[in-house]
Amino acid sequence: MKAASFDYVRPESVAGAVRCLVDAEGDGKIIAGGQSLAPVLAMRLARPRILVDVNRIPGLGALRRDGDSLRIGAMVRHHDLLEQRHSPLLAEAARWIGHAAIRSRGTTGGSIAHADPSAELPVVAAALDATIHAVGPDGGRSIPAVDLFEGALETSLDENEMIVEIEMPIPTAWGFAELSRRHGDFGLVTVVAAEVEGSWRVCIGGLAAVPFRARECEWVLDCGPAGEDRIRQAARAAAAAIETSSDLHATADYRRAMAEEFTRRAIEQAVAATRAGAH
Amino acid sequence: MTGSDSTSGSVGRTVARKEDWRLVTGRGNYVSDLELPRMRHVAFLRSPYGHARIQNVDASAADAAPWVDAVFTGLTPAIAAVELRALSALPSYIETAQPILARDKARFAGEPVAAVVAADRYRAEDALELIDVDYDPLPATVTAWEKPEVPVHDGAPDNVLLERAFEAGDVDEAFATSAVVVERELITNRHAGNPMECRAGVALWAKGENKLTLWSGTQVPHLVRNMLAELLGLPESNVRVIAPDVGGGFGTKAVLYPEDVALCIMARELRGVPLKWVEDRAEHLQAAAHARDHRYLMKVGFSAQGKITAVQADVTCNIGAYSVYPWTAGIEPLMAGGLLTGPYMVDNYRCVTRGVTTNTAYAGPYRGVARPATVFAMETMLNLGAAELGLSDLDIRRLNLIPEDAIPYRMPSRLVDDSGWYGRALEGCVEAIDYDGFLVEQKRRAEHGEEPIGIGFACYNELTGLGRAAAAGPRMPFRTGHDACTVKVEADGSVTVMSGVTSQGQGLETTMAQVVADAVGVTYDAVNVRIGDTNEALWGFGAFSSRQAVIGGGAAHTSGVALREQILELAAAVYEVSASELRLVDGRFLMPGVEQPLGTLADVARIAYMESNRLPEGFEPGLQVTRFYDPVRGAFSAGAQAAVIEIDTVSGELTILKWVCVEDAGRVINPQIVDGQIAGSIAQGIGGAMYEHLVYDESGNLSTGTLLDYLMPTSAEIPELSIGHLSKPADNPLGVRGVGEGGTLGPNAVLAGALHNALGVELTRLPITPARLWEALR
Repeated sequence: MKAASFDYVRPESVAGAVRCLVDAEGDGKIIAGGQSLAPVLAMRLARPRILVDVNRIPGLGALRRDGDSLRIGAMVRHHDLLEQRHSPLLAEAARWIGHAAIRSRGTTGGSIAHADPSAELPVVAAALDATIHAVGPDGGRSIPAVDLFEGALETSLDENEMIVEIEMPIPTAWGFAELSRRHGDFGLVTVVAAEVEGSWRVCIGGLAAVPFRARECEWVLDCGPAGEDRIRQAARAAAAAIETSSDLHATADYRRAMAEEFTRRAIEQAVAATRAGAH
Repeated sequence: MTGSDSTSGSVGRTVARKEDWRLVTGRGNYVSDLELPRMRHVAFLRSPYGHARIQNVDASAADAAPWVDAVFTGLTPAIAAVELRALSALPSYIETAQPILARDKARFAGEPVAAVVAADRYRAEDALELIDVDYDPLPATVTAWEKPEVPVHDGAPDNVLLERAFEAGDVDEAFATSAVVVERELITNRHAGNPMECRAGVALWAKGENKLTLWSGTQVPHLVRNMLAELLGLPESNVRVIAPDVGGGFGTKAVLYPEDVALCIMARELRGVPLKWVEDRAEHLQAAAHARDHRYLMKVGFSAQGKITAVQADVTCNIGAYSVYPWTAGIEPLMAGGLLTGPYMVDNYRCVTRGVTTNTAYAGPYRGVARPATVFAMETMLNLGAAELGLSDLDIRRLNLIPEDAIPYRMPSRLVDDSGWYGRALEGCVEAIDYDGFLVEQKRRAEHGEEPIGIGFACYNELTGLGRAAAAGPRMPFRTGHDACTVKVEADGSVTVMSGVTSQGQGLETTMAQVVADAVGVTYDAVNVRIGDTNEALWGFGAFSSRQAVIGGGAAHTSGVALREQILELAAAVYEVSASELRLVDGRFLMPGVEQPLGTLADVARIAYMESNRLPEGFEPGLQVTRFYDPVRGAFSAGAQAAVIEIDTVSGELTILKWVCVEDAGRVINPQIVDGQIAGSIAQGIGGAMYEHLVYDESGNLSTGTLLDYLMPTSAEIPELSIGHLSKPADNPLGVRGVGEGGTLGPNAVLAGALHNALGVELTRLPITPARLWEALR
């Protein structure tokens, strides 16, 4: 379990990093925190010719509030998300990522770009309709999260593009529920329920190849006050719409049942917070 | 670091561990840390198939690569000349020939097929990619209780390598007159020791002599020396095995592996060049010994009062691709058949137990050997019997445990139990867990529709410190009942212990120092312990079967006492007093009625080594004793565990609210070390019960090949443990009972029992996972 040989470059600007990717002619790979990439390299499941280390690029580690949104630099570590106070949802989601050592190295941009369907941050990004700002040889572009995730570990990023910032709205109410085998594991089911600008967003991770936006569920919730029956109906709608399969850790039936239950729990958490806030 | 522990009487106290300063500050000296001049690194190419004929191995490209020192395959003559055959005189046993590198066929995914030597591990792995192996896949058998399409070994057409029957009393008559007879199929999960440090070795064959030095993370250095000398045709004195600090073993490292032998053979071909192999976790999960892939077809009868009338079992243990060297395929099935009835009175017993080879990694010793599975089987049957009879899980145990007045109790497998403190262990758990309070809370929750809770019990006996008579079970060509220890006084008066015990983190340096300090009559600080080097200790079988405190401790004590006598005789002659009245306390010589010490051990030691002119008439220089110790039989350890769990009936998740264990370690040498052993073994047991599962697909590929899928418990998964001690002195010089494994025996049974108690659900297949519980609840 040792990586195949690669060249290593450490550019000091975004433009420099993009230039390195272009020079690699499709055979370059960005390394940020390395928490997903390093094991993949060690197992030789990825063998890039050039590793582009973006850790020394100034400015990518900034996190700031911009009105009702949070602008998160690509190199903001999970630990920083956990510590920040602007978006309690993000702090809660970050708490569920791995263990302390992983959180102090792993980055927001890295997690989004890696697009693991069981990871927490892609679910949050898809739930909140985050905007991913990426820079390539032809300049920058903004990609809606739902368009970014194309499959398990697949994104619509061009091979010469890098994520520089993620813009996430701060929800007015939110719930986060995850079922995992052990503390710190990827979720078998991860659900984010959030209210943004008066409408509901519900996203489920861990079941499909990409974070699944449960539109029917959202629609049910948007139709009226979130009483117990409506929440149950919404959770049922979410589970009914999702495609999933069995694996080592759970059958498809179990996952679907848990998708319903944890969707219900996430929505209830969000609703309870709203009620508490109203009093 | 150990300065505060200079008061007399070391045994029974929690002293600062001798090894902790280096281990807890990251200054340990592990094989992985070893760097030697001209060292080269080894990587193994492993079979990607569970079962395949090897048509051809083309290593020419790797051989030609400029960065490669050497390539070895199963056809390399030096490799092909050696094979591993675990021997046993049991009548039905079929030996297997385990190649050092697979030659004609690969029998499990992960079996080493070729090896490369290069300047570093990266380049060695690069070269593996250049080796072209032509495999012809064969149908694989991964389940031991299914008929093979193609047998794993030609010599065993039905894959059965060993079968043994136990029979006592009249089982059929007992079933015929039983009030209740319960039958179940129970299946336990394959898992493994997974020590923090994987396997590791550095082999150096001397350039100008036929001498081999192997630094190895082994639990059994003397045994490894003996086996290597025989396999490689060397005089035993020309083989030196050194086990420096070792990062966990749990039985996994009590095996001599083909990789170890390959390393030594390659070192012979590359004389003067140290070869290093450090196993990575992916290799470890695939190719280090596995365990506990068993099926139990159980039938247990009960009288109307709840007494066990008879136990019948058909036990199948998946022993994997080879009969593990040198322990044989008998290690799990024989332990299962011998200890299945546990701490219960059973007159009528019939058991057929077998070891079946399959296309999976071979099974070896793993902490608790088979008994976490047998305890699960036996305790599950008790709970089911209790349910049918309307008894509580607690009362059926109280009725059937071997009572103190039945000791010595001859188990139906003919092992003789010397403990009998099972009732005390169980009642200790009942009290510690507040059973009455639990019953009230369980009822309250049921009435209020709150999340249900349940309680589970496990009672177990464990044969530890097996002497020559008790270790006879597998009928191997060696008996592991004895160890040696050398204790000497150095010229400065300090005491050196060269013991045959080994440590994988469990503090044997400390334990041996405590034992010897008291036996000789010096302070704990005055004792230095050297272990893990076959050039120093005379003999020791090493760490397995919870044997070291009993046997290695016995040898240390016996040697220490003999050394004290030698010292006192010399000192009495030097000081011209009576040896029978002279005492040695904390390194000072005391006479009754004399206030001041006559002198110190350092004074006398100086005479013994440096001033022979002052040696009294008839005394030789030096102060040193070597003694062997063999307890002949063994010491049974009694134990009981109980836990209260809460269940989320919607998700199937369970939360452990309370866990208690009461165990008899006999006389406790070091309370903290004993608690550590019990806590660690319970944690490992919980891992096996709820998380750890090595899963093969139908073609013999390991589906759980990394720690992403093979789930080990972390501290977050392990509850607070309440540990209570009983101390029934055992019949050996220190009065100790082995304590290293017992904790693993309880958790399967405790958790399955607690689920049954809470919800009436039966989980007959381990591990217990939320998904499986959810299925069972539907």
